Amino acid sequence: MKSMNDYIIGYSIILLVYRNIVAAIDKMFLIWQIAFPVVYIFVAGYAYSALIGDQGIAIGSLTVTYVSFLTAGMIGFNVMNGSTIAGAIIWNDKRNGMFQQILVMPFNKIQYVIANLITLILIGLGSAAVIMLIGFPTIFHDINITLWSIPYTIYALVAGSIFFGSFTIILSTRMKSSEGYNVISNGLFLFFAFVSSAFYPAEGLPQPLAAAFYVNPLTYIVDITRAGIFAQVSMFTNIEVVILGLLSSAVFLIATRSIIKMEA
Amino acid sequence: MLNNRVSNQAPSSIRDRNGPCISVNNLKKQYGKSNAFTLDGISFDVKYGTVFGFLGPNGAGKTTTLKILTTLLSPTSGNVSIFGKDIIRKQSEIKKKIGVVSQNPSFEANLTVERALDLYGLLWGLHDSRVRKNKVNEILSTFDLESIRNSKNDELSIGQRRRVQLAREFIHGEDMDLLFLDEPTVGLDPSARRMLLDYIKKHVMSGLTVFFTTHIMEEAEYLCDEIAIIDNGRIIAFDTPTGLKQKYGGANKIIEITFKEVLTQSFIDLLKKIIISKENSDGNQSRKDNTTNTTSHIDINETYPNAVTITVNNVEEVISEILQLVSKNGMQIESISINPPSFEEVFLSIVNDENSSRNNERK
Repeated sequence: MKSMNDYIIGYSIILLVYRNIVAAIDKMFLIWQIAFPVVYIFVAGYAYSALIGDQGIAIGSLTVTYVSFLTAGMIGFNVMNGSTIAGAIIWNDKRNGMFQQILVMPFNKIQYVIANLITLILIGLGSAAVIMLIGFPTIFHDINITLWSIPYTIYALVAGSIFFGSFTIILSTRMKSSEGYNVISNGLFLFFAFVSSAFYPAEGLPQPLAAAFYVNPLTYIVDITRAGIFAQVSMFTNIEVVILGLLSSAVFLIATRSIIKMEA
Repeated sequence: MLNNRVSNQAPSSIRDRNGPCISVNNLKKQYGKSNAFTLDGISFDVKYGTVFGFLGPNGAGKTTTLKILTTLLSPTSGNVSIFGKDIIRKQSEIKKKIGVVSQNPSFEANLTVERALDLYGLLWGLHDSRVRKNKVNEILSTFDLESIRNSKNDELSIGQRRRVQLAREFIHGEDMDLLFLDEPTVGLDPSARRMLLDYIKKHVMSGLTVFFTTHIMEEAEYLCDEIAIIDNGRIIAFDTPTGLKQKYGGANKIIEITFKEVLTQSFIDLLKKIIISKENSDGNQSRKDNTTNTTSHIDINETYPNAVTITVNNVEEVISEILQLVSKNGMQIESISINPPSFEEVFLSIVNDENSSRNNERK
C-alpha cells in the first residue's frame, strides 16, 4: 500500500537532504564556514580600511565603506567556500561505501545530486544569514535592502551554490584520490577567490586583470549579492544574472551527467 | 558438519505468487569496447522463499551479476526480472523491496551505531519515530549490538562494523522480500557467523528470499536451497547442494592416512603409481557414466610430512594395494579414515574440470 509520502514529489530528495545534514557533513566544517568569513570581515576588513582611508568604494551610485563592501563580498565568497561540501559529501560517500548503498535503496543518482545541491543551498543561505547578522554592525549604515532588490541576493546565493556545488561534484567524480581532489579544488578556488571582486572592486584594475575577473563566476555572484544588499540593481546586474543562470545550468547538467556515468 | 537444512516450502504469505522471484535470461555484460564478455549469456531462476547460492572463483562474474540484479549496473543484453518486474523499467518499485549487504563496508562515519540505524530506518520509510525506536532496539538486541550502540564507526572492530552493516538491512523488515548478501560473513567470528546464518534462515522461513554469495563452501551447503556455480561468465553447474555432491562428488572418496614415520619421496612415488594405475584400469568407466569428473590425486601435507590425503573413485581396490605397499615397506599406519568429499572439494572439482576442458578446447 502506498503511504502519503509516496505522493509527495521529491520526498526522497527531502530524506536525502536530511541525511546529508545529519550524517554526511562534518560539524567542524560548519563552524569553520561561519568563523572564517567573520574573522576575515573584522580583521582584514578593518585592517585594509586603515590603508584605504575614508574615500570608500563605489557600488553603482552609492559609496560604501570597505568593511561594508567586504562583508557583502564575503557572503558571496562564502557560497563558493561552502560548495566544497557537495564534493566532500560525494567523496566521503564513495570512500565509506554509502554512495553504492544509497543507490540500492529507493533513490537514484539524479535525486542524489539534487539533494546534495539543496543541502548546499540551505547551508549557503543559512551561513549567509548568520554572517549578515554578525556582520550587521559593520554594514548597517550602508545597507539598503528593498523588496525588489533582495531577490537578487537570494538568486545569487542559490545560483552560486548550484554553480560551485556542481563544479565540485564534477571534480569529485573525476579525481581518483582525495589528495588529488583537495589539491585541484584548493588551487582553483584560490584563483576564483582572488581573481574576483569579492575582496576588491574590478574598477581601476589593469585591463587584463579586470577582464579575468569577468571570466570568474564568483565575480557575478558577489556583484549581484552586493547589488541586492545595497539596492544598486542596474542593467549590468541583470546581464550578470543571465550569465550566472546560464553558467549554473550548464555546469549542473554536466555534474548530473558525471554522476549518472559514475560507476557505483 | 553443519546441518538443519531449510525447507524449500515457501511460506503461506508468498506461496500464491506466480513465477520465480528472480528470473535471469541470457544475461550478457561487456565492459567498454573489449571483446570479452564478463557475463556470457547466463540464465537461472530463483524461487520465492529460498536461499540461492551464487558461487564461483574470483573474477568469475559474481559481483557483476550482483550489481546488475541490484540495479547498479545495466546489462549489455538479456532479460532480468525481479518479482516479475523488469529490472530496467521498474527499478524504483523493485528497490523498495530489496535489501543489499555488499562485500565492501559501508557506514555513516559521523554517527553512532544507534543513530545510524535510526537514520537508515527513516530512509526506508519508517516515519513514526516510536516505531523506529522499537525497531532499532530490537535490531540492536538481535545482533548483539547493545554494548556499542553509542560508539561511532571508527571505534568499532571489523567484525562489529560488519554486524552493523548486516543489522541495518533488517530495519525495513516486513517490506523486504529479497535480500542480497555478498560474502556477508567476512570478518565475523564463528558465533556471530552462526547467529547470522540462523537469523537468515528464520527470515527465509517467514517468506524472505535470499541471494547469497560466499567463498565459504560450508556456509553455502548449510544455508542454500539451490546453488549456481559461475566461472568465466558462464553458469557451469546448477543444483541443490545434495544434487551437486551426487553429480560431481559421485563415487569419489577421500582417504586420509597418517603414518608413524615421515614419508620418503620414493614411497610417495610408489603411492602415486598405484593411484595412476588404478585410475587407468577402472576410472575410465566411471567417468564415462558421468557420475564423477574428478581425477584421482594425492596431496602431501607439508606441515605434517607423515600424512597424505588421497582422492580416488575406487577406494576398495586402492586401499588394499596401499596396505600391501605399506606392509612391503615395513611402514606403520597411525590412523586411516575414508570420507566422502566435502562440498568445497566438489566445488573445486567442478571449477577445475571446467578449466581443464576449456584448456583442452584451446589446444
